[in-house]
Amino acid sequence: MTEPWGTVMTDPELDLTLDRVIRAPRAAVWRAWTDPARFERWWVPAPAVCRVDRLEVRPGGGFVTRFSEPGGVLAPHMDATFLVVDDQERIVFTNAVDSAWRPAAPEPVAMTAEITLADHPDGTDYRVVVRHGDPAARARHEKLGFADGWGTVTAQLAGVVE
Amino acid sequence: MAQYAAELDSVFVALGDPTRRGVVRRLGRGPTSVGDLAREFPMTLPSFMKHVRTLETSGLIHTVKAGRVRTCVLNRDRLALVDDWLAEQRGIWEGRTDRLASLLTEEDQP
Repeated sequence: MTEPWGTVMTDPELDLTLDRVIRAPRAAVWRAWTDPARFERWWVPAPAVCRVDRLEVRPGGGFVTRFSEPGGVLAPHMDATFLVVDDQERIVFTNAVDSAWRPAAPEPVAMTAEITLADHPDGTDYRVVVRHGDPAARARHEKLGFADGWGTVTAQLAGVVE
Repeated sequence: MAQYAAELDSVFVALGDPTRRGVVRRLGRGPTSVGDLAREFPMTLPSFMKHVRTLETSGLIHTVKAGRVRTCVLNRDRLALVDDWLAEQRGIWEGRTDRLASLLTEEDQP
């Protein structure tokens, strides 16, 4: 049985929550999460490519993906373990333990993601809670963030924030 | 949460233009009047004012009028949004959720 939304502690400084109604039945959402061919189609933004190596959606199962930019080489992306799986209701996985059950220090930040599905008159109530690691991990991420993506924008504007 | 995402979007849109980034950079050195700012950018005043309004709407800057002089001031808190690691993660998860939803909606079509 899934715990009701809102009863699980989250920390606004570290965690993010999303709540979306997806206009498709729960079974279809579940398939998109558990069938590798479907999963590869939405996990990363096109034109980047995602390849699923392991998608063992059961407690303790491995969750391993590779990722490549268009024309690039497939490189390791996600190496995680499913913690909790309630059929068609809930998926919890973490990258703080890798798919070999070895404690990991993933970049950019360690997290546990909890995906909850519930029936909704218009389809599926889709909820995501991602709990992130400690402030040390945050500091590391911020440093990394400056190396690419939007971090570059702020780096260019660095004079501004001093 | 949706509102927070919308705020982030408008900040990113505002920063997605070289003139507006220039204005933000310039205002990092301190508040500056619209007239002084406009002189530093090679465009007509009405075009420049459009950029100022976009920056204002995004919350990256605000303007203060004293007599006949309007001064632009940078809102540093707002700029910090871009630097926010958590916002970046949120963006990743929102993207995933958008793509999942549109994939499932497409599959639904005959």
